[in-house]
Amino acid sequence: MSWLAFTIPTITYTGKVKEISLGPPERAVKVGNAGCYPFHLFEGEMGNPPRIAMEVYDVTPEDWPPAAREPFADVLSDPVAWAKKCVDVYGAEMVCLQLVSTDPNGLNRPAGEAAATARRVADALTVPLLVWGSGDVEKDAEVLRQVCEACEGKHLVVGPVQDKNYKKIGAPAIGYRHTVIASTPIDVNLAKQLNILLGNLGVPDELLVMDPTVGGLGYGLEYTYSVMERMRMAALTQQDDRLQFPLVCNLAKEVWKVKEVRLDDPKLGDPGKRGILMEAITAVLLALAGADVLIMRHPEAVRLVRGYLAEMMGVAA
Amino acid sequence: MILIGENLNIMSKIYGPAIKGRDAAPIQELVRQEAAAGMDYIDVNIGPARKGGAETMTWLVQTVQEAVDLPLSLDTTNPEAVEAGLKVHRGKALINSISLQPERLEKELPLVTQYGCAMVGLLWGTEGMPRDANERAALCVDLVYRATAAGIPEEDIWIDPIVTPVSVDINQVKSCLEFMSMLGEIAPGCKSVVGLSNVSNGTPARLRPYLNRTYLMMFMKYGLHAAIVDAFDEDLVAIARGKRPDLVSLVHRMMDGENPDFAKLTPEEVAYAKTVRVLTGQIVYSHSWLEV
Repeated sequence: MSWLAFTIPTITYTGKVKEISLGPPERAVKVGNAGCYPFHLFEGEMGNPPRIAMEVYDVTPEDWPPAAREPFADVLSDPVAWAKKCVDVYGAEMVCLQLVSTDPNGLNRPAGEAAATARRVADALTVPLLVWGSGDVEKDAEVLRQVCEACEGKHLVVGPVQDKNYKKIGAPAIGYRHTVIASTPIDVNLAKQLNILLGNLGVPDELLVMDPTVGGLGYGLEYTYSVMERMRMAALTQQDDRLQFPLVCNLAKEVWKVKEVRLDDPKLGDPGKRGILMEAITAVLLALAGADVLIMRHPEAVRLVRGYLAEMMGVAA
Repeated sequence: MILIGENLNIMSKIYGPAIKGRDAAPIQELVRQEAAAGMDYIDVNIGPARKGGAETMTWLVQTVQEAVDLPLSLDTTNPEAVEAGLKVHRGKALINSISLQPERLEKELPLVTQYGCAMVGLLWGTEGMPRDANERAALCVDLVYRATAAGIPEEDIWIDPIVTPVSVDINQVKSCLEFMSMLGEIAPGCKSVVGLSNVSNGTPARLRPYLNRTYLMMFMKYGLHAAIVDAFDEDLVAIARGKRPDLVSLVHRMMDGENPDFAKLTPEEVAYAKTVRVLTGQIVYSHSWLEV
């Protein structure tokens, strides 16, 4: 009797996420290239697995909970040593330098200082370097412009590039050949528009990745998830050329800023593990939504996510 | 199709202060222009009008009808203001709108029969905005039941399925249209009306007309009765008046699955064809949709 035969429905993919090389050509890390939904290995080729970039701060973090400080206690005041520890001890495939010291609502350190820090970190590394500004539209335009200039030849990945500063950051990125991270506030239409504008400005497709903006676990993660899903549907099933860029998720700073990682309440479990697990879960969910680069903080969270990704990709962990 | 001019609005930088200052001249000039542009109704939108709504509506209805011989669409969420407007209105007015919120039903349904006017039945439930075509259908059945039970004839109920911006959620744009395709079966005898311009809210001003006109043509496929529109979009009025069968045909053929060869279309047709693709969800909207 064949009338009970069941065929698993399959999705017809008509598009593909672009493959982008991050970092200097001789030691580039490739991201993207998905031809199917995340981990739908039964339907197509997923391309490169999600990559993890470990984050480093340009100034000693004063407000981190003990669990986050502990692995880096010896390097928190030295971004170069911190970056090297991420690579040498924790095996980071990429590093993300967070230029929080430049924030005009915080320390408001000058752009030149941040650019010099970025250069020192880039010189010390053999893996691709992402450089993330404070998110302030005007300050980032100045900071990231100087970073691009100071790090000529380093093939950085710089962001966030927003609709209000894309020309000021996009132009030096093209000139000094860095990749830009187009950042939009959890909105598929605005994401597409910014990619179009950057293309019109002259940013070549191979120098473009996207930041959908991340809400942490319990703080809007589901909105980010939905928007990333929409982007992947457009990229893979609607041949939307302007949304076929890899996704970078700057998640750790969202996870570790919420009060739940600090509360000392036995009902919430061990505070030494809680933040780590929240970070790992956020990263896993974003990978399931289509993240190509996960910017993470805690080595133990990184280890958990690596194991998960290996199993999902069918590699023995 | 019935066209309702949307331009007299308390939110306007020109007409808001004119309404508050009881300055009749600019308002009368505006509505004369709306009438000259071919509007069948003038929408008078005074917003929530919590303070002095009744006095404002009384003055505004008289002021507008002194200038033009058209019926008005009384657009406020304040039931006292609606009634004050009806008392002085000449001809058959339209209440814009009555939703399924209990206090609105209770206070405003009786006004429809008492004053012999028509009503916009807004598909906004006690839980807010319907999420898809089926929720719109359920709200529509409830609303029509309540209205007819109050003695209102079907032809005086103009169902508004609530148009939302394409830049917010394409699924709502699609389901609003899907609902319109079902309305004739769900509520036979009732009419329909849309607040058209909301589809392009958030879009750069110079590009908004393409979305408005295209969405109107798409609604026309399902026999839309009325639309609240920008009175001064001449091309839109021409489309509504049946003067652009070429464009309407193109849009409807695309809705039926035709995939036109853009190389064989005029630049104008290409713009509308691209807009159809955005409004049907085939292409993700961006502000540059006409250029890519």
